Amino acid sequence: MNADDRDLLHVEFCGMPFDSPIVLLSGCVGFGEEYTRVAGFSNSEVGAICLKGTTGENRLGNQPHRVYETPGGMLNSIGLQNPGARYVVDNILPKLDFSETRFIANVSGSTVEEYVEVTRIFDDSNIDAIELNISCPNVKEGGAAFGNDPDMSARVVAAVRAATRKPLITKLSPNQTDIAENARRCIESGTDGFAVINTLMGMAIDIEQRAPILGNNQGGLSGPAIKPVALLKTHQVHQVARKHGIPIIGQGGVTNANDALEFIIAGASAVGVGTALFYDPLVCESINSGIADYLRRHQLSSIAQLVGTLELNSAISACDVCVE
Amino acid sequence: MSNESKPHRGTIHVESAKILSHERFPGDQFVLRVAAPECAAKALPGSFVHLRTDPMLRMRRPLSIMRVSATEGWVDMLYKVVGEGTRLLSARQEGETLSMMGPIGKPFVAHPERPRALLLGGGVGIPPMVFLAEHLRRTGGFDPLVLMGSEVPFPFRARPSEIIVPGVPDGVIAAMPLMEDWNIASRLASLQGYPGVFEGYITDLARAWLKALSEEQRTQVEIFACGPHPMLAATAMLAREFSLPCQVSLEEFMACAVGGCAGCVVEVQEDNGPAMRRVCVDGPVFDASRVFV
Repeated sequence: MNADDRDLLHVEFCGMPFDSPIVLLSGCVGFGEEYTRVAGFSNSEVGAICLKGTTGENRLGNQPHRVYETPGGMLNSIGLQNPGARYVVDNILPKLDFSETRFIANVSGSTVEEYVEVTRIFDDSNIDAIELNISCPNVKEGGAAFGNDPDMSARVVAAVRAATRKPLITKLSPNQTDIAENARRCIESGTDGFAVINTLMGMAIDIEQRAPILGNNQGGLSGPAIKPVALLKTHQVHQVARKHGIPIIGQGGVTNANDALEFIIAGASAVGVGTALFYDPLVCESINSGIADYLRRHQLSSIAQLVGTLELNSAISACDVCVE
Repeated sequence: MSNESKPHRGTIHVESAKILSHERFPGDQFVLRVAAPECAAKALPGSFVHLRTDPMLRMRRPLSIMRVSATEGWVDMLYKVVGEGTRLLSARQEGETLSMMGPIGKPFVAHPERPRALLLGGGVGIPPMVFLAEHLRRTGGFDPLVLMGSEVPFPFRARPSEIIVPGVPDGVIAAMPLMEDWNIASRLASLQGYPGVFEGYITDLARAWLKALSEEQRTQVEIFACGPHPMLAATAMLAREFSLPCQVSLEEFMACAVGGCAGCVVEVQEDNGPAMRRVCVDGPVFDASRVFV
């Protein structure tokens, strides 16, 4: 990233300085060092990295197959494989280079108590922020079971809020009736930011075996196929969150600068990149430069000036759009 | 923190790999040669690449490496059309380019104290065995035997071997020409009744050879295998039967290929219990006794 771009791409997110609006998404980049295996890739190209979902105890995760390409995207069902929060804090965080980017823990659990326990462990570390994963579709307990119920979401957020003073970002599920209402409840309970959205639940079938391809039968759909859904959800959450100055990481199918700009215009202050890394591990560089070019072309001096600048047609809210 | 403490960094290269040749063999098999100097310079036997088979298909596909030339900067792969990715790849022409990441993964490690390396390759598991055989020949001090199995015609014209292999039934003389050129013993196995080819499983042929060795000779054997899961399971049993160390190369559906997504895991038994290990960066080569328990 050149110095001119760096000035333009700077973002403040929940009080954290990001060198770029790009956030690498939990579950796509392991525990922060994995993509640095690729020559030419640098963690300093991105504003923040969300670490793999972490629970109280280590988890083996789901049986293979765990990933499968689908039209315009992919299904995954990893099942929160992780070595447990204590191990992450004691053995992984000390090896990360915090001068390169911000690192965000992704806190997961089966019970409210587990979310709190994991949050406390990370609170007592040098992690930059906590992302609350109440939307993982690939575990039987916790995850989306909490995130799809506004009452439960509010309970988890309130309990975790009381356990940390670090920035708290709540990752919302698209698999629910009213994401805006859920967002409102999470704000009341003390969230500092949102990540919108997690994956959509889906399935792939092997017609010869007449069996699901994924070991867990179902999984989360990501990639360009879900981008329109993610954009609408980002817009809907922004309608609620902007009144409270709560920022959003918009995510779902971002593969290039134009996609990222759509999310920013819809209301995202930062933009998540996940599946696109699997297509092109060096994609962040071109997203950064594409965003910077757009800002220059539109004579904008910061990303903040572009956030939520969507101008809706007439008086119809996108929330009311109906196909009937 | 300096990069000296992070030796993993920058080890996988993304190259725009020009197709130098793309040869079709019976049974929907193809040998693809691409120009990829970074990968060619650093790949080791067992390494694989992750490539974009077609612009229309965005996820990459992992392919094992069969041969490299560090000096000429090319990488050879042998693959069989098994799905959409490899079907699209098979249509790519000489002169086109493919986005290719590599080399990836932990390689096979042969031990000089066990110079009688027994290499077993089944179907599209043949390529890493060719790579390993060539590597052992260059390293020197090894006396490998390469056994290859296939249920479709072999992707080369077999020729009668001039190298004697103990324990091999009379008439089983078909060998891979490349191995003959390298003066490395090889034999073929199939259930299809091809001339000069052992009619049976590759592991049965391996067992016949092991039985023909003296006890002392057997202590110098190490097994390396790549192929379909049942073949690897049978290989692991064979290794146990003769108390031999055995390394197997595995495959699994893969997304990132750099260790980021944990999508390609295999369950292994470690000292403190079961664990899920990533085929891409923890493997693809594993100790067989940890995988097939």
